[in-house]
Amino acid sequence: MRQKITVWLTTAIAASMILTSCSAATSTVAPATTAPAATAAPSAAKKLRVKLVINGTLGDKSFFDSASLGMDIIKKELGYDTKIVELSYDRNKWEPGLEDAAASDDYDALVAGSLDMGDYMSKIAPKYPNKKFWFFEGDIDFASKLGAGSCTNKCSNVYSMYFKQNEGSYLVGLATGLSLKAKALKGIDNKTKVGGIGGMDIPGINDFFVGFKQGLKDAGLNPDTDIIIQYVGGDNPWNNPAKGKEIAKSMYQQGAGVVWGVAGGSGMGVFEAAVEANAYSIGVDSDQYFTVSDPKQKTTIITSMLKNVGAGIARAAKMDASGTLKYGTAEYLGVAEDAVGLANNENYQKLVSAEVQAKVAQAVKDIKDGKIKVDTTLK
Amino acid sequence: MDSALKVIFSAVFVSTILRVSTPLILPALGGLIAELSGASNIALEGMMLTSACAGVLVSVYTHSEWLGLLAGISLAEVMALILGYFHLKLKADIILVGLALNILASGATIFVVYLLTGDKGSSTKLVSLEMPTITIPIIKDIPFLGEVLSGQNLITYLAFIATGLVWLFLYRTRLGIHIRAVGENPDAARSVGINVSAMRYLALMLSALLAALGGIHLSMGYVKFFQRDMTSGRGFIALAAVYLGAKHPVGTLIAALVFGAADALSIQLGNLNIPSQLVQMIPPVVTVVSLILYAIARKRRAAMLQRRFQKTSV
Repeated sequence: MRQKITVWLTTAIAASMILTSCSAATSTVAPATTAPAATAAPSAAKKLRVKLVINGTLGDKSFFDSASLGMDIIKKELGYDTKIVELSYDRNKWEPGLEDAAASDDYDALVAGSLDMGDYMSKIAPKYPNKKFWFFEGDIDFASKLGAGSCTNKCSNVYSMYFKQNEGSYLVGLATGLSLKAKALKGIDNKTKVGGIGGMDIPGINDFFVGFKQGLKDAGLNPDTDIIIQYVGGDNPWNNPAKGKEIAKSMYQQGAGVVWGVAGGSGMGVFEAAVEANAYSIGVDSDQYFTVSDPKQKTTIITSMLKNVGAGIARAAKMDASGTLKYGTAEYLGVAEDAVGLANNENYQKLVSAEVQAKVAQAVKDIKDGKIKVDTTLK
Repeated sequence: MDSALKVIFSAVFVSTILRVSTPLILPALGGLIAELSGASNIALEGMMLTSACAGVLVSVYTHSEWLGLLAGISLAEVMALILGYFHLKLKADIILVGLALNILASGATIFVVYLLTGDKGSSTKLVSLEMPTITIPIIKDIPFLGEVLSGQNLITYLAFIATGLVWLFLYRTRLGIHIRAVGENPDAARSVGINVSAMRYLALMLSALLAALGGIHLSMGYVKFFQRDMTSGRGFIALAAVYLGAKHPVGTLIAALVFGAADALSIQLGNLNIPSQLVQMIPPVVTVVSLILYAIARKRRAAMLQRRFQKTSV
């Protein structure tokens, strides 16, 4: 009896495997002739199904949350079906997770991002030439340098975008530095320094600080003595708010008037330290003046460096719909594309003088016109 | 450069060490009691995380930090009972059950925070209450001591008081001695009528109580919100402190303070222009070096005892 069941089960499983592999095969062959990536001219009326795969979970207050906001925009403005897959923070699940997400036929465009996913995306995307892939903040191997199945089709169905956080960070640095120099921030007259707390000492984070330092330098601060940069590190760099707070406290003790946390959840401790030190802080990625709920903490936030991953994704979706999205290339989105910038909210207007605001607005123009070039650690 | 060094030699730095060490001392004492009873509590990390989360959430919804504290402790106790049930009753390996509880705590806390706030990262949408900060009259006006001893969080004081209480309990009470006897030799203890299982349950529950206080300090003292996985391995560092402290309350306290000091030092030195990788090596290097020193000291002592024994026997 039991044997019979086993035989039936095996047959059923085998049959289903054959059937599914068949259907997968036909689907790859048939639409390949239409090759949306190559022609990039889908009919405007077609409602796409867009799937976002994140190698973490939502709630990071950083680019995953921002990317999910982008999905909301796509849903609302283009009427697309959207879906989010969270792969958790377990690295071992990322490659198979992306592979599974790409293999299932429930999407037309797949969105993923981050440095770690670049290589996986480069390998997986060529296997599904009839699907579109939108990628952010990582390296796609367009030139097929890595070999071993990486971008065998030159990833001609992948569009990749980088965000010039260095440009946004420059603006934040300039606004902070000018305010500090003018002694315009109340209660920190004797403070001359600025602190920056990164999650880890990696190029992606240092790119923020390179721009930040350049902005502070242009405001007249001495980058060697007035700017303190430190990293949370350890085995949990992005979710250790106690350590983030402790580092911020030490920076305030050493004469920092403003501290900027670029460390995910660890950075949330900075705002509490700012309140205790009667000093100021800066937000990152989203406008944290609006995401922090404690009124005492939010009023310490001079401004935030906005990194609009969501807007970038929505932009890609719209350009794809109009057939202007350049597949097979990577694009750098900066101040000129409104992909990064400085949060101009009521608190910024209250804390930063009109004169400084005007100078920052001028810098925005200068960056757009190419008059100001901001250094970067990437590329 | 000068300002960082100046801070290291100031009262503020000592006060920082106390603050950084608190969430290590308490779980370390908890780990010690469990260890001495012969039931290693690997779940300290998960217990801390659970109580950190429960403390914040309950304090927000009940508007009472004390109910938050109570909730945090109760949940850690439930975890201790689960740990005890699986290990003592069902004879499962305590390390495995402990690890399972840690993973459960990490997932469950995120899940509950998500259910209540819609945020999978932290509870910053809620404004948590905190445990009170204590200002000690008279002492607060003494120049150096005042800055160090006064103005700390209530739980920091509790950590030091707990060290004394744990010592008294383990070495001066009948129950404490029974717990140690059970850990030393369960069969011998059983033969004189001590209930091994009950002693270990008790030890695990005391351990959970102390771990819970450490967790509450993290989310309702150190910072005032819950962040996913915010314990960041402190429960495991606490276990290391137990061994480094030669399984003695005072030794454990000192070991936890050494770890805290190493961490505080790395934070201050991080502000200098030293490569961050070097600075971040300080805590692990201190751990390894102190373990080596401890091993050498123990070996010497063993050798000395042996020599003495040989002399007397000849």
